[in-house]
Order: sequence, then structure tokens, then C-alpha cells
Amino acid sequence: MSALTRLKDEAPVPSARTPQRAGGRGGLRRYKGYLWVLPALVFYVTFAILPAFHTAYLSLFDWDGVTLATWVGLENYGEVFSNPDYRNAVGHALLLVAFFSWIPILIGLLMVGLLSRHRRRGMTFYRVLFFLPQIVPLVAVGITWRWMYGDDGVVNQLLRGVGLDGFTRAWLGDFDFALPAVGLVGTWAMSGLCMMLFLSGVQKVDTSLYEAVRLDGAGAVREFVTVTLPALRGEIAVAMTVTTVAALASFDIVYVTTSGGPGSQTTVPGLLVYRLAFSEGKVGLAAAIAVVLSCLILTIVFAINRLTRTDP
Amino acid sequence: MAKTRLIRAALAAAAATAVLAACTPGSEDAGSDDSDSSDGAESVSTEVPDEDATLRLAFVDGPEMVDELIAAFEEEYPQVTIEPQFTEFTDYVASIRLNMTSDSAPDIAQFNVGAMSDLIPSGHLLNLDPYSEAYGWQESFPSVGLEQLTADETGKVYGSGSLRAVPAGMSLTGVFYNKELADEAGIEIPPATLDEFEQALEAASEAGHTPLSIGALDSGGAHMWAALLNSMMPVEDYRAWVTGEAGGSISTDEALAATEKFTEWADQGNFNDSANGTDQEASTAQFVDGRSVFLMNGNWAAAQVADEMGDNAGFFLLPGLEQDAPAVGSGFSVSYAISSQTEHPEAAAAFLDFLASPEAAEIEAHGGFLPPNVDAAPEAEGVLGDLNSEFARVVEADGLNVFPDFSAPATYDALSSGIQSLIAGRMEPQAFLDELQGIRDEHHEE
Repeated sequence: MSALTRLKDEAPVPSARTPQRAGGRGGLRRYKGYLWVLPALVFYVTFAILPAFHTAYLSLFDWDGVTLATWVGLENYGEVFSNPDYRNAVGHALLLVAFFSWIPILIGLLMVGLLSRHRRRGMTFYRVLFFLPQIVPLVAVGITWRWMYGDDGVVNQLLRGVGLDGFTRAWLGDFDFALPAVGLVGTWAMSGLCMMLFLSGVQKVDTSLYEAVRLDGAGAVREFVTVTLPALRGEIAVAMTVTTVAALASFDIVYVTTSGGPGSQTTVPGLLVYRLAFSEGKVGLAAAIAVVLSCLILTIVFAINRLTRTDP
Repeated sequence: MAKTRLIRAALAAAAATAVLAACTPGSEDAGSDDSDSSDGAESVSTEVPDEDATLRLAFVDGPEMVDELIAAFEEEYPQVTIEPQFTEFTDYVASIRLNMTSDSAPDIAQFNVGAMSDLIPSGHLLNLDPYSEAYGWQESFPSVGLEQLTADETGKVYGSGSLRAVPAGMSLTGVFYNKELADEAGIEIPPATLDEFEQALEAASEAGHTPLSIGALDSGGAHMWAALLNSMMPVEDYRAWVTGEAGGSISTDEALAATEKFTEWADQGNFNDSANGTDQEASTAQFVDGRSVFLMNGNWAAAQVADEMGDNAGFFLLPGLEQDAPAVGSGFSVSYAISSQTEHPEAAAAFLDFLASPEAAEIEAHGGFLPPNVDAAPEAEGVLGDLNSEFARVVEADGLNVFPDFSAPATYDALSSGIQSLIAGRMEPQAFLDELQGIRDEHHEE
């Protein structure tokens, strides 16, 4: 996201370079650029902006999705903020951020630190390999992990294999471990994305920089901190934004693996929106949660961008 | 520049909201063409017109069964073509309401209480009373099947009012058992009372087996709880609660005793260790592998059990408290409703009528469901035979209860998560019942 902002700031502004001519034509020309954007704009407004407003509008009604809705004003929002179940769901989503975002970024940085010191052969192969989890649909990922976490699944087989019999359990059915177990699925899915981003970011770095640091007698750690890490600032911001949004808006992995159970240990806002709107016939309340969730995500993304901005 | 952009954006937003605000979501009444169909007084014909008609049928259960039913029906009425539209369960529940309220609604749709009850007050479902009278469905379908599909004008109270759908095949939950393991443990089958069943669980445990497999990761735990309610709670009380009768309550002494029994069984280790992490399919697999003596599940698991265990498996209803207690079981039908927007109501009704025929019964039994018409059920052996005879007992005693999640749309999620909490000892039985009661009351308040 911040990479995009940066690009915009640095790009020359066309209108400034075009000599301003007096009269209407110059004004027209200024708007000519918008004509090119129009198709995309229409598409975006129709399918993204308007539905968003419509959702916000729906959140002011009590509506079962079929019969006539009744206007309730901000009542749904009152319910969203007062119901402890919904607050817990937000808490779960925030915990998932650690698994979907922080751990994958750390893993990504570690891998890049190991791989970036020298040009290695077969880098493309690694990139493809790390990116694989990204191209598998999350529903398939969820189903696979549901099997792996099962009573006789791979996870328990491995534990038994190393003699940790006492530690085996049906992970997704355990009140204490279900949420971290779901989180680790996210870690697996997101780590590849982070590694991929960082690996391509590090390839931009001039190798002479590494040489210079090495001549100054720096070790691997020093090299990583002085050269690699600052160079990856933009990529880290992108990775953090994408993965944080994925964690807060998570639905598919949770839905497929636990459906929010056991109890309500793994409910997340996305799951509540789906349940309320589609199976419980409370569309207004679902819309209100969606609006609150969107605001929360926007705030956090904004904060991430502020913190990782390169230029003051 | 930045300022004008902001203003422009604000204006656009305001305009968009204004456009949206012009209409309130939802519709008052959809069945404008036949607004008088709801009084049920008009006469309808059982004659299917000779001109060609194409019906679309949206459904979720038993694709092979539906194909066969359609083929058999089309043979009888060559002028009618039925196009089946299969949707997987969760997607079906999520989309059927939008589908039925659209301009291109399917003519016939598989009925689902939770997802489709709202379509009754909105007028999107055809009131079937006139057809029921014309065809004599009260005689051709068993009353247990039809009663579940009768609802009042609000769509919230079931068991009275007008007919909304007819059954194609019934389901029933109960206990499957492994004959070899039961013999080994010295268990006598079937147990005559709930006490005897508890002793059987104990005997299984002493013999070193997991007594009872349930799949509480999805709805398997709720089936076990519902079975205990069937055994311990008076049928009238349960039905008053689940069908939405005024004053109906699940917060009763009997229901509490049943719920406490459920937690007791969990505490004593009568269920598989990881019940909360096991889905129904996996619980069936455990049972089929001989890793538990009993399995709580429904007729949908019977085909797999019969295939893999053959004569070694059987089925019985969870017994009541007394030896002569009436046979009560949980089950619902695969059933079909007609859209009020259909252009061929006669042809659609003829298809529903066809479901009562012996020919349809055979196809339904073959598809793994229990034909609503008990006498039409084809002979079967082993576990499938047990299932048929137990179902016949239930029908005889008028003991078929709908699943507990029919009490309100929000019940299902609270029920499955509450059951998981009960198993893990994280919720008090009374609190669990109070939560369910609260959800039901809120639903009926609106």
C-alpha cells in the first residue's frame, strides 16, 4: 500500500508539465485523463463502492432478507458493541493477526536472511515452492488441515512418532488449542506470500552494498540489519497490510475447519456476518458488524502505513 | 485540488445514499398473481394440462434419487420436463431465499425450515391446502410427515395451519451397534430402557472399548442430546417448544435431567475422547472400524455401515425411561415446496402427488431414505431392515420429533457450540437450556 503511495508521490504530475493554455480546451484536456479511467471507475463504483454504501445503509434496518424491513436507526450498532460474543470474536481475530501476520513476516525475513547473502542458483524454484500455498484455495487448505489435525491425523501421528503420546488430541476440538491451531493454518498459508515478497524485494538490492558491508568486516547478522532490512521496508509494509487484513477479515479457514467451535472459541467477525445474514436472517445486524469490522481494518491499515512510511 | 476532490467524493457519496434511501429493503408481498391462494378456498384441478411444461427443481439431498424420481414421473407425464438444480447443503441454505424471491425462482424447491420459513409470510411459497384436498394427501402421506410441514401464516409456528410442502423421504436418528463387540461385552440388544442402555455403556467400557461414538465437531452431538430429550422429556412439551407454540419451554425439569445425563455421559467417558474434534463422518468411520460399540447417527450413515459391516451391525432407537414408553425418534423429511410464482402449478402439484406412490417409495428407499409411506417400504435386511422397522414403530406411535434446531433460525449455532461446551464441561446444563430458550423467545417476539 505504501509502495503505491510512494509511486504516486514520485510520479510527475502531467498537468503541471503541460503548459496551461487559456480557454476551455485546456480545462477539457485536464479531464481527458479521467476518460481513460472511466471504465475501471464505473466498474469499481458499481461493484465495490455502491455495495459498501448499501451495506452501511442496510445496517440501519431490522431485516430478515425477505420480508419488509423496519428502520431501527443505530440500534444494530448498539447490539454490536454491547454483545460480549461479538467482542470476543474481534479478540479472536486480533489474536489471529499474530499467526497470520507477525509469524509469517518473521519466517519470511529469516528465510531471506539465509538466502540473500549470495546469488544462488534455482532461486525461481524456491520462489515457486514458497508461493504454492498461495495458489491453493483456502477452502482446500482448510479441509486438508482439518484432516491433519484429526484424531488420527498427521499431526498426532508425528507426535506419537516422537514419543509425545500424552500430547496428542483432536486439536480443532480442544477449547485451549483450537484457535492457535487455526492460526497456524494461516501461518502456513501466509508465510509463502511473505517470503516471496521479500525475496523479490531483496533482488533489487545492489550486490555491491553487500560487498561493501562485508569489506567493513560485518557478519551475517550485521549485514542483514544494515542492508537487507532497510531495503525491505516497503515490502514489509505491504506484507503486513495484506496479512493483517487477511487475519481480521478471515472467514474461509475458520468456516471450513471449526465453524467457530468448540463452543465459540474460534468465532471471528467474518463468520458472524455470514451466520447472521444467511442462516439467522438478521441482515441488518450482520451489515452493522461488517461496517464496524471494515472501520477497524481501515484504522489498523492506516496505522501500519503511518508506522512504516519511509519518507517523513 | 485535494479539497475539491474531497467535496466531489462527499457529494457522490451523498447522492448514492439518497438513491439507496429511496427504497426500503425487502418486499411486502410477492405472490401478487395469486394473492387469494392463501385462504385455501379456491378449487384446483388435479388434471395436468396437455401442453408442454418445463419445471425447475432446486434441491440439496440425494441427486441420484431425484434423477430417478424425475425419470419415473416424466414417464407418466410425458408433456412435463423437470430440470434438476443441485446445490450443496450449506450453499443451498445460504442462497435459497434469494433464489426463491428472484424473478427466476425455481418452480419446486426442497423445503428447509430454517432457511425458508420467512418465505411463508412473504408469500413466496404456494399454499398447498387446495391440492392436498384435491389429491387426498391426508390419506396418501402419513400424518407424521405432513404435520412437520404444516405452518401458520407467520411461518414461525409449525404443526398447525396450512400445508407448505410434502415429504419425499424421511430421516431418523438412533443408535447403531456392533454385534460382535456387544456380544463380547455381554450386552443384550436392544436395551428395553434407558437404564439398560446405560448399563450397556458401562459394560462396553469395562470390556475396554469406547462405548459410544458421536461427531460433535458438527451436528452429531446435538443428535445425541435430542435423542436423550426424546427419551426423557414428554413429547408434547418438546413439540410445544420446538414448533413454536405459545408458552413452549425447553427450560423444564425433564429437559434439565436429560441435559445433565448428557454431561454425565461425557464426564464418565462414554463418548469418544475427542468427540469435539470429530465430525459425523469420522465418527461413523471410527464405528465401522470397530473402535466403538455404539454410534449415534442417522439413516444417512446406514448405507455405509451396511456396506462395510454387513450382518455385524444393527440399529435401535434410544429407549425411553419405561419399558412400555412410546417409540420416539428425531427425524425430518426431504420435502418439496412449490413457488408461488410458478406458471405450472398443476404440473408441480402432480409431481408432489407422485411422491406418495409406491414407485416413488422404492426409489426413496434405494436412495437411503425412509419412504414416508411405511407400508410401501421394500423389504430389507440387517441394519437397513432394523431402520425400517424402528421407523415403522415411530410412525405407529406418532413419535417423530423434528430436530431441535427448528425452534429458531439462530438455534443451530448456539446448539452446536453449546453441546461442545457441555462435553468439555465448560457450561452448566441450566445455562445451556436458558440460552436456547432465550433465542426461541426472541425469535417469536419479533
